[in-house]
Amino acid sequence: MGLKSALLNIYDKKYKKLMIISLLLVILSIGYLGYNYATTGELFKKGVSLKGGITLTIPVQEKQNLKQIEKTIKNQLPKADLTIRELTEAGKPKAIIIEASDTTPDELIKATKKTSLTVEKGNYNIENMGSTLGQSFFKQTTKSIIIAFILMSIVVFITFRALVPSLFVILAAVSDIISTIAAADFLGIKMSTAGIAALLMLIGYSVDTDILLTTKVLKRRKEGGPLFERTIKAAKTGLTMSLTSLAAAAISLIFAQSNTLKQIMLIIVIGLLFDIVYTWIQNAGILRLYMEKKHGTH
Amino acid sequence: MARIKTLLKNPRIIILLIALLLGLFAVHPNPWNKGVVIKSITKNSAAAMAGFQLPEKITPMSREKIISINNKPISNMQEYYEIINEIGYNQTIQIRTNKKTYKIITRPQIERIELNETETVNITKTIQINQTINGTTQTINKTITKQEERPKIKEKITGVEPIGLRVANAPKSNIRKGLDLEGGTRVLLKPAEKTSKETMELMVDSLKQRLNVYGLADVKVTLVTDRPGIIGEGTQYILVEIAGATEEEVKDLLSKQGKFEAKIGNKTVFKGGKDITYVCKTADCSGIDPNRPCGKNEEGWICGFRFAITLNPEAAKRQAQLTKNLKVIDDVLEEKLILYLDDQQVDELNIAADLKGRAVTDIAITGFGKGPSQTLAMQETLKNMKRLQTILITGSLPVKLKIERMDNISPTLGKEFLKNAIYIGILAIIAVVTIIITVYRKILIAIPIITTALSEVFLILAMAALIGWNLDLAAIAGIILAVGTGVDDQIVITDEVLRKEEGTHIYNWKQKIKRAFFIIFSAYTTTMVAMTPLLFAGAGLIKGFAITTMLGVSIGVLITRPAYAAITEWLLKK
Repeated sequence: MGLKSALLNIYDKKYKKLMIISLLLVILSIGYLGYNYATTGELFKKGVSLKGGITLTIPVQEKQNLKQIEKTIKNQLPKADLTIRELTEAGKPKAIIIEASDTTPDELIKATKKTSLTVEKGNYNIENMGSTLGQSFFKQTTKSIIIAFILMSIVVFITFRALVPSLFVILAAVSDIISTIAAADFLGIKMSTAGIAALLMLIGYSVDTDILLTTKVLKRRKEGGPLFERTIKAAKTGLTMSLTSLAAAAISLIFAQSNTLKQIMLIIVIGLLFDIVYTWIQNAGILRLYMEKKHGTH
Repeated sequence: MARIKTLLKNPRIIILLIALLLGLFAVHPNPWNKGVVIKSITKNSAAAMAGFQLPEKITPMSREKIISINNKPISNMQEYYEIINEIGYNQTIQIRTNKKTYKIITRPQIERIELNETETVNITKTIQINQTINGTTQTINKTITKQEERPKIKEKITGVEPIGLRVANAPKSNIRKGLDLEGGTRVLLKPAEKTSKETMELMVDSLKQRLNVYGLADVKVTLVTDRPGIIGEGTQYILVEIAGATEEEVKDLLSKQGKFEAKIGNKTVFKGGKDITYVCKTADCSGIDPNRPCGKNEEGWICGFRFAITLNPEAAKRQAQLTKNLKVIDDVLEEKLILYLDDQQVDELNIAADLKGRAVTDIAITGFGKGPSQTLAMQETLKNMKRLQTILITGSLPVKLKIERMDNISPTLGKEFLKNAIYIGILAIIAVVTIIITVYRKILIAIPIITTALSEVFLILAMAALIGWNLDLAAIAGIILAVGTGVDDQIVITDEVLRKEEGTHIYNWKQKIKRAFFIIFSAYTTTMVAMTPLLFAGAGLIKGFAITTMLGVSIGVLITRPAYAAITEWLLKK
């Protein structure tokens, strides 16, 4: 019990300091994306589905020397922009994924045949995305995220009919998405259309917990109980929610064989972790400051 | 017993049970389904002549099933092919299906070879020398019968013509697996120029026909749009999905766009497809051109071909309009009729003087082929002719299409993905249940959670089967995430109902559940609006994800979560 009450004590008494941590996380994420933009002209690395190129998936049974494969293909196709990854299922190698732009599928397959991989008709997947289509997908999906945010904001405003607390909810969701994009990029993930879809899903997940918190703290004020206790109660529910979602997403991430599923789940896992910080530290903190200013300390 | 009765009388449980029952009808599962079903019927084939028909819209389980052939029962594809491959031509086979019994008369496969020797035949001609375009309408009274030499044609029977049925193993349920899980090729095509919706639909139709003519199994051609508006750019795409075809086959097919146009003085007279009502393919009006037989020049051999086609009256009128004011030089008009295939000139033809200003519907199309020897040149010529004929019959595409995206998914990998997804689903549910039992310290709570999670998955699949939606990887991700939000909401409900009462207000069960649903509905609405933009973006390729997620959360909020609340109340209320 000692640890639990100590944690609760920190959460209760030092919530302003905790909020600084969450603020730093947001600043760090924005800084990271800004640095990316300044150096590369893009906020984050895009996968072939958003910029055009070829994805070749070849099943394997054992560990492969990725460096050697990359070197061999690079020798054949010096101009191509290559990324080679290993797809694992519970740690066991399942497939090699080669992403390449500035080459043709035929050339890539020819070059890959020179490596240690067995490339036989019918055993591999190849996806080829035109670069104009990729760019248009990117534009459309970016717009989708912005529109999703606007629509979500309207729903939140209607739900709470209070401007400031609604803005806190939206702020938490924005922070969550920004940090998730930054962290995913930092981990070397190249964003695909599936990844963007996951981000949209994450808006829903992220807002869930914020709505739970705001409802309990704001709407159920008259039910009595000190504000902090109401926050803790909401947090218990919310953390159980995050825990189950995290467990399901983490299991899918570890065991999924498909690249699409893996990317979706990885983004959900990162986003849920950030959501804990942005809901229970950032949003709970500013909501507390706001309530205390408005209604006095309970 | 009385307690179970009260549960079953609960309207929320009744709604869930009815939904599950309807779902069962939609999915129509039958794990013991055996035999082969008919997937498609080739046009003009022996099977089509015997009366086999394929309805436009059909659910997998209602496909016509073959019961026996010549009274031998058929239970799998192997048995089907064993019997079919043994049958010779000009035989009658009796196929009994679950609908009726058909009699198919097999046809011989005939190969027509033009020999090097020629024969003299009597031909009724309306052709003037040096004129390749000619009318055979009654008003032209220039029909003459003359003796002519033309290549001898040898007809060789090479085997049995395929009867024209494409079959597959009988499905186990109405759930359709997408290309991601079944393997095949998916191509996203974009017109090279701005095209009206009507034209796009026409292209979808003719692509379907052409892909079917080339004998590819299981072709799905759909028109997809990034809807106009703020998200999409209003771009129209054609999505071609072909199960079991290799990338090369499809690419080869699609790269030959087959835009056929005939022009006089740069004005189009007719186009392949809708302007042409009939194309002759028989030896009497198609083959090596008697007026331009094989000849030798500096480069090698060159042969001409010709075949008759019939234009629709509009095209004939256009031809009359365009030729009306042309001058006549040496019995032919000053402008030539120039034939283009994919914007490349194929041939140019003189127009006979008597065709000036006349609306003629029957005309001849010509072209040529080259080769190092006479035989090779002849082969090349006949190949070119066949290709042109196919393009003209099946309707060429009015606009060129560009391949924007091409995916080829191996069938073995697809099967692995499906198995893997089921495995992940089971593991995820086990993990979630373990956590919830640990948090609430109540084993009984596992029952409603597992029941609702499984009902949700089943109802999403049933809805997908009902609306004919294909299950692909993105859809599976959507199902996992929808069930995930479902569990989140169940936790909100559980917390509201299990919470120890504190403070001034004491709520009854009804109020508690109402309070939980305030949070659930707000969260549901935000998820719905956040996913909506995806329905309109990305040429429909990520639509599956958005649709299944939205379907899943809707089914959850409207059907399974109220039922969960009812079961939890029933189980835990003291």
